[in-house]
Amino acid sequence: MVELEGIKKVYSLGKVQVEALKGVSLKIDKGEYVAIVGPSGSGKSTLMNIIGLLDRPTAGSYKLNGVEVSTLSDDQLAYLRNRQIGFVFQSFNLLHRLNALANVELPMLYAKIPSRERRERALKALEIVGLSDRIYHKPNELSGGQQQRVAIARAIVMNPSFLLADEPTGNLDTASSIEIMKIFHQLNEAGTTIIMVTHEQDIANHAKRIVRLRDGLIVEDSLVSNRITY
Amino acid sequence: MYIWEAFKVAIESILSNKLRTFLTMLGIIIGIASVITIVSLGAGGQKAILGEFEKIGVNVFSIKMRNDVDIREGDRLTLRDVEMIRKRLPSVKYAAPVAEKMGLAKTEKYTKRALFIGTDFDYGNISSLKVIHGRFLNEKDILLGRNVILIDKDSAIELFGYEDCVGKSIKIGTYYYFDTAKIIGVIDSGNLKSLGGSIADQIPIIAAIPITYAQKIFPDINISQIYVMTYDQSQLEEASSQAVRLIESLHHNKDKYKTENLISFLEEFNRILGIFTTVIGAIAGISLLVGGIGIMNIMLVSVTERTKEIGIRKAVGARRKDIMIQFLIESVTISLIGGAIGILLGYLLANIVGPFIDIKPIISINAILIAFFFSTAVGIFFGIYPAQKAAKLDPIVALRYE
Repeated sequence: MVELEGIKKVYSLGKVQVEALKGVSLKIDKGEYVAIVGPSGSGKSTLMNIIGLLDRPTAGSYKLNGVEVSTLSDDQLAYLRNRQIGFVFQSFNLLHRLNALANVELPMLYAKIPSRERRERALKALEIVGLSDRIYHKPNELSGGQQQRVAIARAIVMNPSFLLADEPTGNLDTASSIEIMKIFHQLNEAGTTIIMVTHEQDIANHAKRIVRLRDGLIVEDSLVSNRITY
Repeated sequence: MYIWEAFKVAIESILSNKLRTFLTMLGIIIGIASVITIVSLGAGGQKAILGEFEKIGVNVFSIKMRNDVDIREGDRLTLRDVEMIRKRLPSVKYAAPVAEKMGLAKTEKYTKRALFIGTDFDYGNISSLKVIHGRFLNEKDILLGRNVILIDKDSAIELFGYEDCVGKSIKIGTYYYFDTAKIIGVIDSGNLKSLGGSIADQIPIIAAIPITYAQKIFPDINISQIYVMTYDQSQLEEASSQAVRLIESLHHNKDKYKTENLISFLEEFNRILGIFTTVIGAIAGISLLVGGIGIMNIMLVSVTERTKEIGIRKAVGARRKDIMIQFLIESVTISLIGGAIGILLGYLLANIVGPFIDIKPIISINAILIAFFFSTAVGIFFGIYPAQKAAKLDPIVALRYE
C-alpha cells in the first residue's frame, strides 16, 4: 500500500545542505501496525511528513495504493490527505472554537459530504473512541486523553487507507497513553493500518513491526517479539 | 454547501472579536452612511424642486433686459411687446408682463410695506398663484386700468383679521401718494410666512394689481420681464428666440434682451447637485479605501493568529481554494455587515437631518444596492491578499506554528 523507493530529502539551510533522508526504501501493507522509531535528528519526522503527503521528497519514488504521489500538486495532495490519510498529532491539533462533533466533521466538510451524513458518521466515529457523551464539549473542556480520542475519531471518519500518528502519547500521562494504545490496538484488530512515529520504546512495542531510523537511513526493520497487546 | 460553512466560521470569528471587528468596520460604516445620507437627501431635494417646477410649469420662459448692456428708454419692454408676442407667435399660449414695485399699503389701522406686482390676466395662468377667494385680474381690469388688487392670505389676516376680505378697500402707494384700491381676490401665501417670529414681520404684503393701474400710480415703474408660456415644453427654445427677435424688430435694436427658463435653471441645479454628489462620493470613496485597508490589516492579523488552524485544515484535506474562500468570506462578511450598518445609519441620519433643511429624504433601492455592491467589492478587493497569504501557507510550517 505504501511503497517508498530511495527516498531522499535535502533541506537548504542558507548555504548548508542538510540531507535529512539519505535513501529510504520501505513497504507497508494493508493491515500492518508499524512503529517508526529513532532519536531526534534521525529523520523520522521528515519521513512522516513525506508519508503523510505534507511534504515532497527531493528524490525517490512514493507510491500510495500504486499511484506515484511524489510529483502531485498541492491540491492533489490535499485531496489524498483528505481521503487516504488520518492524522493523529502529538498536540492533538483540534480547532478550539469547534466542539468535538464539529472537529470530527471537519475532514468531511472538505470532502463535500452532506451535513446529515457528516453528523451520522461523526457520531459513529466518536462512539468508536468512546466519547459519545462528550460530543458538544469543546477541546478545552476535555482532558488530554479525551482530546486525543476526538483527534482519532477525526482521523478515522473518512475511512482512510492508514492512520498516521506522530508521537500520539507524547503529551499524555501514562493512563491516558494506555487508553490511546488500546484504541489503536482495537482499530488495528478491526483492519485499520497504523503508522506511528515515536521515540518511546514501550509505545513502539504496541506495534507489530518496528522500523528504526538513524541519520536518515533505516538501520533496523523487524517484527516485535514482545508485543504489548490488550 | 461549503460557502455556508465558511460563512458560519466567519461569523464565529467575528463574534469572538467583536470590538476589533467593529472598529475595523467603522471606515465602511462611515463611508456607506455618508453616501446614503447625501444621496437620499439629494434625491429628496431634487424631487421637491422638480415638484415646485411642475407647479409653475416647465414650458415657461421669461424675457428680460440684459444687465450687461446700455439701456436706452426705447429699449424697455412695453405692453405692446406682450400683445405682439401673444398675437404673432403661434406656439405661445399665454404671455404676461411683470413690473414690481415696493410700496406701502394702508388700512384704517395699519400701514405695511407691500410688494406690488403689476401684471395682467394671463399671469394667473402662468404662475403658481392660487386664488382662494374672489377672482384674479381679468381683461377689463387691464383695459380700463381699474383700481383693483389681490393680496395674500396672511396679509389679509394681519390687516383685517380674517382671510376673505374681498370687497374691502385698501390704500396703496408710496410715501407721498396713495390711491384707494378695491380688493377683488385673496391669493395663497405659500409657506413664506409660516416661518413665524420676527422674520414674518419683515415679509411685505404680496399684492397683484393690473399693470395699467400700476403705471398710473407708480409713474416710474418699468416692465422688468415678460413671462411666456408655450403650448408644449418642446417649443420652449424656438419660442424664446422668436420672441427675442420679435421684440428686437419692434424696438429696432439688437442683443439687448435675454430669456431664461426653468429648464436651464433645473440643469444648473442638477449640475450643482452633481458636483456636490461627486465631492461627497470622493469623500466616501476615501473612507471606503481607508476602511478597506483596515479590513486588510485585520485579516492579516487574523491569518497570523490562525496559522495553526490553517495548518490543521490543510492537513485534513482543505485545498488552497477552500482556505482562500474561507478568509474571503470573512472579509466580505465584515464589510457587508459594515455596509448594512452604514445603510441603516445613513437612513437614520437622512431622516434626522431632512426636517431641518425641509427635505423629505428618498432612499432608493438603487442607492442600497450600490452600497451593498461597494461593500462587497471592498471586502473582496482588500480580502484577497490576506486570503492568498493564508492559502499559500505550507502545512508543515503552519502545523508547527504556536
